[in-house]
Amino acid sequence: MICYLYPEPTYFFFAKDIPELLYYSHIPATAVALFVGLFVLLNNPKKLLNQLLFLLCLSFSVWTISSLTAWTNINADLLAAIWPLFAIATAFISILSVYLALVFLHKKDVSFSTKLVFFFLLTPVLLLAHTNLNISGFDLATCDAFGYEGLLYKGYYTALGFMAIVWIAIASIQKYRFAKTTEKTQILLMSGGTLLFLALFITTTFVITFFVNIGLLPDSRLEMYGLFGMMFFMTALAVLISKFRAFNVGLLTSQILVFVLTVLVASQFTYSSTTTAFTLKAVTLVLTLAVGLVLIRSIKNDVQQKNEIKKLLKNLEKANARLKFFDKQKSEFVSIASHQLRSPLTAIRGYASLLLEGSFGTIPQKSVEPLSRIDESAKLMALAIEDYLNVSRIEAGNMKYHLADFNLPTEVEHITDDVRANAIKKGLVLYYKKSLHNQGVIHADKGKTIQIIHNLIDNAVKYTVKGTITVLVRDDIKKKKIFVDVIDTGIGMDDKTQDNIFQKFGRADNANSVNISGTGLGLFVAHKMAEAMGGDITAHSKGDDQGSRFTLELPLAM
Amino acid sequence: MVLHLKKYFLLYTLVPLLILTVAASYFRFMVSYDYLVSYEGDCDAFSQSCFLYCEDDECTEPLYYSIIERDASALRSICGANADILNCEAASTCQPNDRSCSVTYCDATIDDNCEYVQPTNGAVKISDS
Repeated sequence: MICYLYPEPTYFFFAKDIPELLYYSHIPATAVALFVGLFVLLNNPKKLLNQLLFLLCLSFSVWTISSLTAWTNINADLLAAIWPLFAIATAFISILSVYLALVFLHKKDVSFSTKLVFFFLLTPVLLLAHTNLNISGFDLATCDAFGYEGLLYKGYYTALGFMAIVWIAIASIQKYRFAKTTEKTQILLMSGGTLLFLALFITTTFVITFFVNIGLLPDSRLEMYGLFGMMFFMTALAVLISKFRAFNVGLLTSQILVFVLTVLVASQFTYSSTTTAFTLKAVTLVLTLAVGLVLIRSIKNDVQQKNEIKKLLKNLEKANARLKFFDKQKSEFVSIASHQLRSPLTAIRGYASLLLEGSFGTIPQKSVEPLSRIDESAKLMALAIEDYLNVSRIEAGNMKYHLADFNLPTEVEHITDDVRANAIKKGLVLYYKKSLHNQGVIHADKGKTIQIIHNLIDNAVKYTVKGTITVLVRDDIKKKKIFVDVIDTGIGMDDKTQDNIFQKFGRADNANSVNISGTGLGLFVAHKMAEAMGGDITAHSKGDDQGSRFTLELPLAM
Repeated sequence: MVLHLKKYFLLYTLVPLLILTVAASYFRFMVSYDYLVSYEGDCDAFSQSCFLYCEDDECTEPLYYSIIERDASALRSICGANADILNCEAASTCQPNDRSCSVTYCDATIDDNCEYVQPTNGAVKISDS
């Protein structure tokens, strides 16, 4: 049976003498809803929130497609058969909106009892949709069934819509009150979008068709304005997705903007009239799409690079934190281990000295040499441990400096005198010289300064097989600096060694040929100490076997 | 199992119901044609109060009609599968044996645009038009 007063549509949806707004209100809203619903679902199909949004968009699309069919088709049997879909889709839109809002607000599925409530609310709509309570006939003259709709049934499923609005509003307000600032914005966007959509959709579809039923309006064309509510909802969703990564979807704002722009341009076709207008709109659409795609690709690349850098930075920060942690652990371990070693060594050295001095009676001559070796080795070991302890203190930032004024040349001379005996024992000549323009008073930690200079002269003695060692103290009044040069005729070092000599465990390749007891930490510690006191240590050598010059530089107390 | 059923409760209950409803609607309206249809039927303005439709303000070509309501299946049996009322003379009146068929004439107390033509005095508009 056909509605005999109306022309037959072409391609199912295209009919003459229909309201101008019909396609513009139905097609873009349906396309956007289906696109967003599908996009969100395909991005994360297992997430309940995404499934619910898709079902909501699908229900809305069923309604709009049914409405489009009802407006354009004249097959009464078909129209009567799809008429129950309006009720079913409206009821599903209402309940799914509530379900979606609750899952969004509470970040979890609703309870079983709530599901039961949903079930009992929807069941009457489904069970009675095909009965006379919903639709009992069809008017072939007006080509609609408004006059045959059961008001009780219609009132029920419309009431579901208003109930959904109240339910969502209450749940949102309750959640909003205790939410954090960022959550508040998300709640406002989601609930605001859903409520605006539902309010516009339910109110217009019910009120308009009610007025048509009672004869106040000739047809239901005004209900088309209700569909624009979906656009507000989709806009809110777009902001949620792009700004807050809602629905676990990574979507760029540029992608959304290009999509919206394309839909807006494409929707102009819905009321295109002349061929020229059609062609211009087609060209605009193609250009919009092309420029949009280039824009998206460009921004996508930028964002990808930015994300990669962010990721690398994050990894680097993590690695750095772990390194610092391990370094601290190591320093603590060295400190503890060194302390544990130092105590027994003190006892060994003390008793060896006492034995050698005869405090426990005369010892046989043949025991003197082994005891001397024990004493010497324990002394070396104590020095090595002291180095380890100093390194651990420096790295942990626990090295203490007690600054005071003292005369450096005097201290250097004393140290030179102390070391001279060792130098002579090795057949070396150790000179002390000074070239000063003032008294040479510095403001530094006396003990550590002595340790540094002792280390430099001692090294010169260790790494010089024959020749001389000169210790020169000089100053530069202009620069307010005092220098201690330790110049030897020893094994020297190449450029590579000079670069690394102040690093931890940095030793010359040829160092072991003359001294195997070095730890490679003495110069590292000395350098760090000098730096901490505002000075520096530098090393110069013309190469292997060319001798070396180490210079300690400290500020004068002027 | 119980948890699974609770989780997918709505899916397992509403989807079959939805399918059944859609199938029932399809069967009712597109297979058994079990619904009423209404359309404009003949009306003799000299003997009945007819609904009046005018193409223009002057109503140069008045169209008098009644409203006929009958079962869609009955209409199909009278006018065929692709029932077009305009090409089906038998549809414009109710047959005496067709109990589902009813004709509604214009009731001036309820409807606008009713017209009854008195044989002696010419056409008289009996309600606001």
